Amino acid sequence: MKQSLFTATLDNGITLLGEHLPDLESVAVAFHAPAGAVHDPAGQSGLATLAGELCLRGAGDRTSREIVESLEHAGVQWSQGVSATHASFSGAMVARRLPEAMPIYADLLQRPRLPDGEFENARQMVLQNLAGTEDDPAHRTLLALRRLHLPAPWGRPTEGVSADVEALALDDVRHFVTEHLRPPGVIVAVAGRIAWDDFVSRVEREFAGWEPGPGHPVTAGPRGPHVGHVPHDAQQTHVALAWTVPPYRDPASYAATAALGILGGGASSRLFTEVRERRGLCYGVSAGYQTHRDFALAVCHAGTTAARAQETLDVILAEIDRLPGSITAAELDRVKARAKSGLVMQQESSAARAGAMARQWYHLGRVQTLAEELAHYDGLTVAGVEAWLADNPPRDLTVVSLGREPLEVRRGLSA
Amino acid sequence: MDFLHERLPNGLDVIAETSAAAVSTSLGFFVQTGARDERGPEHGVSHFLEHMVFKGTPDLSGDEINRRFDALGAAANAFTSEEDTVYYATVLPERQDEALDLLARMMRPALRGADFDTEKLVILEEIRMYDDQPPFGADERCRAAHFGPHPLGRSVLGTVESIGGLPVEAMRDYHRRRYAPGSMVLAAAGAVDFAALVAGARRLCADWEPQAATPRIAPPPPASAGGVTERIVRPAAALAYATRLTPGPSEAHADRFAAKLLATVLGDGSGSRLYWEFVDTGAAEQATLHHQEFLDAGLFLTQLSCDAADADELLDRVRDIYASTARDGISAREFEQARNKLAARVVLAGERPRRRLFEVGGEWAHAGVYRSVVDSLTIVESLTRDDLARVLATWNLAGPAATVIAGPDTAHA
Repeated sequence: MKQSLFTATLDNGITLLGEHLPDLESVAVAFHAPAGAVHDPAGQSGLATLAGELCLRGAGDRTSREIVESLEHAGVQWSQGVSATHASFSGAMVARRLPEAMPIYADLLQRPRLPDGEFENARQMVLQNLAGTEDDPAHRTLLALRRLHLPAPWGRPTEGVSADVEALALDDVRHFVTEHLRPPGVIVAVAGRIAWDDFVSRVEREFAGWEPGPGHPVTAGPRGPHVGHVPHDAQQTHVALAWTVPPYRDPASYAATAALGILGGGASSRLFTEVRERRGLCYGVSAGYQTHRDFALAVCHAGTTAARAQETLDVILAEIDRLPGSITAAELDRVKARAKSGLVMQQESSAARAGAMARQWYHLGRVQTLAEELAHYDGLTVAGVEAWLADNPPRDLTVVSLGREPLEVRRGLSA
Repeated sequence: MDFLHERLPNGLDVIAETSAAAVSTSLGFFVQTGARDERGPEHGVSHFLEHMVFKGTPDLSGDEINRRFDALGAAANAFTSEEDTVYYATVLPERQDEALDLLARMMRPALRGADFDTEKLVILEEIRMYDDQPPFGADERCRAAHFGPHPLGRSVLGTVESIGGLPVEAMRDYHRRRYAPGSMVLAAAGAVDFAALVAGARRLCADWEPQAATPRIAPPPPASAGGVTERIVRPAAALAYATRLTPGPSEAHADRFAAKLLATVLGDGSGSRLYWEFVDTGAAEQATLHHQEFLDAGLFLTQLSCDAADADELLDRVRDIYASTARDGISAREFEQARNKLAARVVLAGERPRRRLFEVGGEWAHAGVYRSVVDSLTIVESLTRDDLARVLATWNLAGPAATVIAGPDTAHA
């Protein structure tokens, strides 16, 4: 698995990451700026999301409509989004279109107009999206889980809170963009059929004048209670559980993700087998790994008819308790096989590779080769995963339900 | 890329599009059966059977199938629609034979009574899960309003009543009738070893009783009932969700590609007429137009979500946009923008074997036609504004429609 990986750094602190994939016709480029929702001041939840949206609505010489039309005329599949940590602007396109797209992204990031005439429309768009998430029971359950389990501001919804968004003013957005949409900490990742040297000179030309800002450390507050219930009138009750595991940059994260894969990562996982296949309790049940730079969480989720929700929660808790000391070699081999397939198949998508490189740079400060990453999985043994589980059994669980009635958590949460 | 085809003596078609650049292999069985092929009391059996296929064969348990797919590192799944049931797996090339072995054996499932009873609970949960989510059944109710009693108007999942009352014997009978080798295609895309694929199919599928394609039972669908508006009240919903259907070209129609380009101009998720009017302004959470196609019917599907109080007015404005577009036409600039978008989508999707599998297998199963990525690009790039004008003149998007609105309280005051 020979890879052509490149990195470069500009004087103002922008990091450039590249991978040449000569068999692809496409290129994907992604810009990640450290202007995420953790920088929303208390009472202004949704500011980063509104700022990200408003950057698209006029930048440099282009109006809102001209930005979208120029990108789409070049056949760019564009997207814009704000996570807890980053505002991201990305696009995938046929390789020869990259020179048309780059100046537009340079404007979006460095010269957003943040026009008065677009502010109200942008705010209404954010509010519409918030209303839409109210109708998604799984999403609401996971939001409530993060709100209880993680310390503020990490547990706050990245998409915002309606009452806060209603109260925001254009000056709040302008101030936020001036403070946060800046290097250092900006990552530009490109993958696909690229010419690296050309790309570096293009980024230097377009972005070298971007003034660095001061950087903004985030202070974490207290976390919420361990058990919560969200009243919701529907046929199904949703249940979600979380506990703390090592972040991606900790080498122990590979043992943790393997243990989670065995618990709920595929059709042969413990949860899928016991909850769905054996008992028919629900359509979907899974366990997954969500990482930030300094902490990570294990998350389980299931939705089922109200009358069977208690049994579902009981079975999930029993499977979590049963995990330490019970892992088999065949289970670990399946986790390794799934990880290997997923990593190798990333090479068929320029967007997947650009995303993976940017994530690794943010978490590790470098890009791992696929071979290095595979070696982490290949190095896992049953004894190693069990040793990690023995030292770090799932504990201090947070449990959230959403439905007509709260559920009973029949387990010592600090056990 | 090369295209290869071979037909086994029992009627099973084996096809592949091979790509030297791919690092994965996608393969799957395309069974030409779906919700429209169900007889009255069988409502939902196609999709329920798709679940049961994963519950094992006479010599392979459901758990064993799940374990083997995971051990292959396979991304394996299945889906059921009105006209198709598709089982597929994406694996690293060295796992092609094992993935084929598993998929082929699954096509002759055990359909055990105990598994049937347990899986029935899962299907019922799936029905309730979707019923609790947007668009709260508006899409299915609208399809029913459009097609009337024709089977294309029925939900793929079935209902709590139809699934609850379904006996296992009915599923066994349906499987015998519908999973004939002449009604199935084994397709593959990506880094495919075609000789091994054919050899595997001969070994694993040769004893399937020879049978020509099973005729589809449904009569051709009627024209739209039109002019119907129904409402579903969901007191707890935050937004209203509207679905609007008018007729469009079927997949046998020469204008199917022009219809897709027209839908991109009018109602793509970004940069379209509906987007600028409703989404960009924050008037609606979502406002899109899609072209959907079946063997002998087609639809233009409008989906709108917004404040319940605004739904009727916004639907009127959507219709006005369709009417003014038909009257005044489409500018050269927006036509080119949409065409370039579609062309880029064809190229990018062409890089993923799984996307190619659905495209190549689906077209072959329905029409016996193969189109390469280059063929598809040529079609998109040859479309003109006249083609779109013809579609607009032929299919009156602003005309009588079936409309269903689900939301907190959408009744007129």
